[in-house]
Amino acid sequence: MNALRVARAAFKARPQAVQVFKRGYAEAAGPSDKIKLSLTLPHQTIYKTSDVVQVNIPAESGDMGVLANHVPSIEQLRPGIIDIIEEAGGSKQFFLAGGFAVVQPGSELTINAVECYPVEEFSAENVKNELAEAQKIASGSGSEADIAEAKIEIEVLEAIQASLK
Amino acid sequence: MVAAWKAAGFTYNKYLAIAARAVRRSLKDGPRAKAERRGNVEQLKFVKWENGKPGESKTISSESAAQ
Repeated sequence: MNALRVARAAFKARPQAVQVFKRGYAEAAGPSDKIKLSLTLPHQTIYKTSDVVQVNIPAESGDMGVLANHVPSIEQLRPGIIDIIEEAGGSKQFFLAGGFAVVQPGSELTINAVECYPVEEFSAENVKNELAEAQKIASGSGSEADIAEAKIEIEVLEAIQASLK
Repeated sequence: MVAAWKAAGFTYNKYLAIAARAVRRSLKDGPRAKAERRGNVEQLKFVKWENGKPGESKTISSESAAQ
């Protein structure tokens, strides 16, 4: 009977102790207002699970901004500007040629692209020349595949041109 | 809406290769030369086996370009 009383006392004491040491997963994982960004190309890793504040991506379904704790989703990307707002308050702009962005649970964003370059590395002159050439092919009398190819190029080049202004 | 590349009968891989090429050609001359030298990274290869013998090794992108 005495032992039972002791056991009961211990049982009563427990909830208090639990409250003192209670700690959520989110706290253990560190600050939750950052998103871990990985931006990878077949030949280069630009970001490797780096903490950033926000990433704006040109999804096929529309431009979207991704913050921490975003709902998990998979987005196909258009050729366009990806805007990365870093912790220090600065922002970086890259142009990517299309690919996929995967928002994973736990504030992780993974972007896979074929080509991705900082906006400063584009030459307005070269874009103009390429655009003129693609337009010539698109309105020419080449094969259907050549014309379709030129039309894709025009779409990409016009997106670059718009982002350089 | 069906995307233009899909309507033209291109695979997504082929479409991305075209878009990537356009991006590489739009770079300033310095980074452009570097990117063009590297070209489209082709790492995915496949071999079709027939009658217990391996066929020719092809890259995915060369195959989709032929289509």
